[in-house]
Amino acid sequence: MLWKDNYELGVPHIDAQHKELFRRVESFLKVLRSKDCWDEKIPKINETLEFMKRYVVEHFHDEEEYQRSIDYPGYEAHKQLHTGMVNYVVEVSKKYEESNNDEQLMQEFGGRLLAWLINHVAAEDQRIADYAIKKGMSGNER
Amino acid sequence: MKDKLYKAFIDATHNVFKLMLNISEISAQQAEDFRCEEEIDISIGIVGDLNGEVVFRFPAETSLRIVNIMSGMHFEEVDAFVTSAISEIANIISGNVLTAISSDSMKCDILPPVQCKLDKDREYEMETSCCISTTIGEICLVIRVNRAS
Repeated sequence: MLWKDNYELGVPHIDAQHKELFRRVESFLKVLRSKDCWDEKIPKINETLEFMKRYVVEHFHDEEEYQRSIDYPGYEAHKQLHTGMVNYVVEVSKKYEESNNDEQLMQEFGGRLLAWLINHVAAEDQRIADYAIKKGMSGNER
Repeated sequence: MKDKLYKAFIDATHNVFKLMLNISEISAQQAEDFRCEEEIDISIGIVGDLNGEVVFRFPAETSLRIVNIMSGMHFEEVDAFVTSAISEIANIISGNVLTAISSDSMKCDILPPVQCKLDKDREYEMETSCCISTTIGEICLVIRVNRAS
């Protein structure tokens, strides 16, 4: 399983979104890496990609709102990381569409997404939790 | 600066392996100890007050183990997915290093990861390398930069 309990920030709303994001990415990777022929995988891949484009933006927005609510000092830098990932997802989606569903492009996307997401939640987002705990605001919802 | 860069890359690799892969046992050895039959070299360009690159030499077996730990899935060969995943890890480690060494008098940035073939003939003002040994295999880091004139 992709999700690990030690990724929890202690903010129920954000943790629930992280779990959903990991569940979707895991499902995406299973399809991406299955032995089925690429043409058979395309509908599921396309569906997940569309979900990611919507959900990632929604989740990042909610997470940024939480950071603002606790006056997180790393807000601007963290927002830049989010913007970089959103731009990457949009760029890959565009190239993927233009390439008529190129498999190599999607495999590259899957590998980067996996590493990025784990680092982002395990390292970058944990700094938000550390700050909230330090300020006695752990578990605060916006 | 060379020693500072060396230490920063070892520390960043240690932190990233601990957080992302749950691997704490890491030791740095001489680069000459690095032996590998099949490797994937990932270059991260450095620009700004320092110009050059750090090349991460990932043995194929180590690469497969890294992606296996992250995904929980079995990988038999190094393909576009595996290369992209380890490239992102190299990117994350390098980004952390640049954040750690940056100051008002030292501004640097990194370029996106590129798969490369290590060019050992080029000469740099500062060059250092090390072999990082972990429970899932070794990684060799070649750090080489010039000061911006």
